[in-house]
Amino acid sequence: MTGRAEFIERIRREVSKTPGLFGASSAPRPADAATAAETVRRELAERWPGALERFRVEFERVAGVFHRVPDLAAVPAALGAIAREYDATSLVTWDPAVLGFDAAPALTRGGIEVVAARAGAEDEAARLRHREQAARARVGVTGADFVLAETGTLILLSGSGRPRSTSLLPDVHVAVFGRDRLLETLEQVGIMLEALHVDPDRAMSGATINFITGPSRTADIELTLTRGVHGPKEVHAVFVEAP
Amino acid sequence: MITCLGDMLFPEVGVAMVRLLRRLGVQVEFPPGQTCCGMPLFNSGYHHDAALVAARTVRLFEGAEHVVVPSGSCAWMVRTEYPGLLKHDPALRAAADSLARRTRELSQFIVEVLGVTTIGSPFRGKVTYHDSCHLLRGLGESASPRALLRGVSGVELVELPGADECCGFGGSFSVRLPEVSSSILDKKLANVEATGARCLVACDAGCLMQMGGGLSRRGSAVKAVHLAQVLAGEVEG
Amino acid sequence: MSDALLRTPFPERAGAALQDRFLQEALRIATTKFIDLRKESFAGFPQGEALRDRAREIKEATLQHLDVHLERLADNVERVGGHVHWATTAEEAREMVLRLCRDRGVRMAVKSKSMATEEIDLNEALEHAGVTPVETDLGEYIIQLAHEKPSHIIAPAIHKTKGQVAELFSRELKGSFEADPEILTAVARKALREKFLQADMGITGANFAVADTGTVVLVTNEGNGRMVTSLPRIHVALMGVEKVIPSMTDLVVFLAILARSATGQKLSTYTTLVRGPRRAGELEGPEEFHLILLDNGRARQIASTLREALYCLRCGACLNVCPVYRQIGGHAYGYTYPGPIGILLTAMLKGNESVRELAHASSLCGACKDVCPVRIDIPRMLVELREHLDREKIAPWTERVVFRALRRLLLSPTAYRLSATVGRWVQRPFIRHGRLRGLPLVLGKWTRTRDLPPVAARTFRERWKELS
Repeated sequence: MTGRAEFIERIRREVSKTPGLFGASSAPRPADAATAAETVRRELAERWPGALERFRVEFERVAGVFHRVPDLAAVPAALGAIAREYDATSLVTWDPAVLGFDAAPALTRGGIEVVAARAGAEDEAARLRHREQAARARVGVTGADFVLAETGTLILLSGSGRPRSTSLLPDVHVAVFGRDRLLETLEQVGIMLEALHVDPDRAMSGATINFITGPSRTADIELTLTRGVHGPKEVHAVFVEAP
Repeated sequence: MITCLGDMLFPEVGVAMVRLLRRLGVQVEFPPGQTCCGMPLFNSGYHHDAALVAARTVRLFEGAEHVVVPSGSCAWMVRTEYPGLLKHDPALRAAADSLARRTRELSQFIVEVLGVTTIGSPFRGKVTYHDSCHLLRGLGESASPRALLRGVSGVELVELPGADECCGFGGSFSVRLPEVSSSILDKKLANVEATGARCLVACDAGCLMQMGGGLSRRGSAVKAVHLAQVLAGEVEG
Repeated sequence: MSDALLRTPFPERAGAALQDRFLQEALRIATTKFIDLRKESFAGFPQGEALRDRAREIKEATLQHLDVHLERLADNVERVGGHVHWATTAEEAREMVLRLCRDRGVRMAVKSKSMATEEIDLNEALEHAGVTPVETDLGEYIIQLAHEKPSHIIAPAIHKTKGQVAELFSRELKGSFEADPEILTAVARKALREKFLQADMGITGANFAVADTGTVVLVTNEGNGRMVTSLPRIHVALMGVEKVIPSMTDLVVFLAILARSATGQKLSTYTTLVRGPRRAGELEGPEEFHLILLDNGRARQIASTLREALYCLRCGACLNVCPVYRQIGGHAYGYTYPGPIGILLTAMLKGNESVRELAHASSLCGACKDVCPVRIDIPRMLVELREHLDREKIAPWTERVVFRALRRLLLSPTAYRLSATVGRWVQRPFIRHGRLRGLPLVLGKWTRTRDLPPVAARTFRERWKELS
């Protein structure tokens, strides 16, 4: 088996044989990612209404369903309405501490089972239980760490209290977010990603970042578009007005 | 530069071009020793051989103020590939760079150098235009031929669906993979016939040979003609 | 591709594809659709051209320090608890996966779409070793059940009708399913959901790997990439060395143009950034992450004329516009990678001899270069390849003799003029209604389907006197 040194040496030898095809440099990284990210946040704090509208248009273009509620207190009711739309009897959610609201009391009263992931409870038994619950739930509720207007994309970090399967296994995925998550362009996303990775183990408790642009889809059979291949068939976004 | 196909198989195109240029006030010379730009050799990978032909061609046209070519692919060959082929000899390389600067495909010459887009031609009829690959993508030219066609009052120009799609000629490709070449051609000709045009116009002898050969084999009423023939009013029938 | 099929000469394989009426129709519909979607997408995206230039530049810049970037990538993957393996050959890569399966007791592996794993024939090796590989991309799942190879880089099963898929599913999954894509998709969803939840290992490729952070990036539409990297306890990513890019800032440049080029989408449904195995605080995710870096002939190209082919993002845009691919589809090419870029990749991975016929499967129209997101000059490299075939004497000697003779003809005005006279004489028996038909030998290949104009009664040169 080739070892690292031998493999790299081979490549280095080939690289040194030629100056390349033309003078080229990779994209310049922000000199100070944290400050650049802060600048983006400040700019979006002004421009968020335009970004939100753009997001709505693009999100609906990829078959997303957009909702607006006045404040966090109104979120559980909105979730209940969505759940009833799909005759869902079971919902799985991120940890309420991460979400900023707890849908369980309101929904359980309405007869809908709510299973919330809990940060800090990650033993094998908890893992298996969560997997079984997530596979069973009809609706999965998450937050969104960034919301990209340009493409109608929800960006979710996985981690403690924010499992990956919540936005993946159920038939319906609902993401709840506020104005502070909005970004306008992929370029800004790049800046935020750089900032997250300055001290990644502090900034992120998980190993994945998922960009989600509409429901799961394929056109592999005769180019006919179908949804819900492996991931959710429906994606909803709930925007919370109050800052 | 008349091109090998033009010289041997389509002399009427060369004649039309000469008459047209003279009418536009251009003094036309024909260096008699010319043969071919060497593209068939180049495309099939015989670069050493192509370089020899290039070296000869470059010297042949040294004295010309402008070199006009009724073929997008040959003009492309001279302008884009000659300098690279001759890069090992500084004198030849310089001559190739000079020739590249002075060489243009016919429609580009008329529009860019002569500044003319309206040509009085007796031609009347519906035509459709095929974008030859090397003229379109190699030389970035799709506007001049269309402008010149529209500039003829008797011409009704109908846009060809898939005008920018290859006709299937590709030089030796047409006989190395004749079935694929013909299959591509069939698709092109179906589009041509659907336009209802009387004439199919192109700026490349290779394309005209391929498309004309297909049209005549299927007994089509559509004639494949060179732009020069339309502009000079020298289309038969 | 099976060796038996490869023994059939390429023109025959192409001919068979031309006779396949369903394939012809499927290709026409699929390629036209992809072309239109891509065109529309870039039409509404004025920054697109500048981004393509930048993307090309990033790829070139990365190659200029490829060793450095790969080392940084490896360090960062290991920093978060991942393992990095270095596979010089396809065999080594296969062996690494098999060893992992043996050591960890893997019986079933779910796979997300990966051309690299096709390239090294991983599935066959897994099966021989008693491990069941399950393709989960719907198109790949279909062709796996059918024991076929993919016919397009991003739409592997476009050569199959919905009727054929229904039949296939009914037979292999023991049910009775209608030829309705919605129903068939639901069948696949259910069947594969079980596999995701039971599998011991998830195997993916990687569209990109970010050296700065040790992140592997997967671009998918179905969600199987996420399933495969979250549910099984081991994740193995197999990646060609040329896929590494320096930073997250570079990544978003590619994300902006990749999906647009492939399917006309602004972004694919899922872009998944995976940085090592699951963290301590995560309920889900693999315990182990393995990145296998694959050379398999790539390094050798860094200083060769095929260098640019290493920029390839595997988007499939060149296939969709290629007049040859559009007529014959992917299988006729005979190797893992079809279409214009496929010819170059095949030469890269299997040597020039393997493309002695394929190097000519192009009219050099240049449509591929036009749509390539990183502006790879495929036509130029095809011509260079042909030059290698001549120089290395791989091209048949008969052909080389003909072209040498042509050169001599073109260098001698006397011989050239004489050839017109000879031609006029020799062609006489073949003239019908002013056109040449039924010509012998090589020219017969033309006249089988097309007329040829005869050598003119008077060439232009011969008419010049009266013109001047």
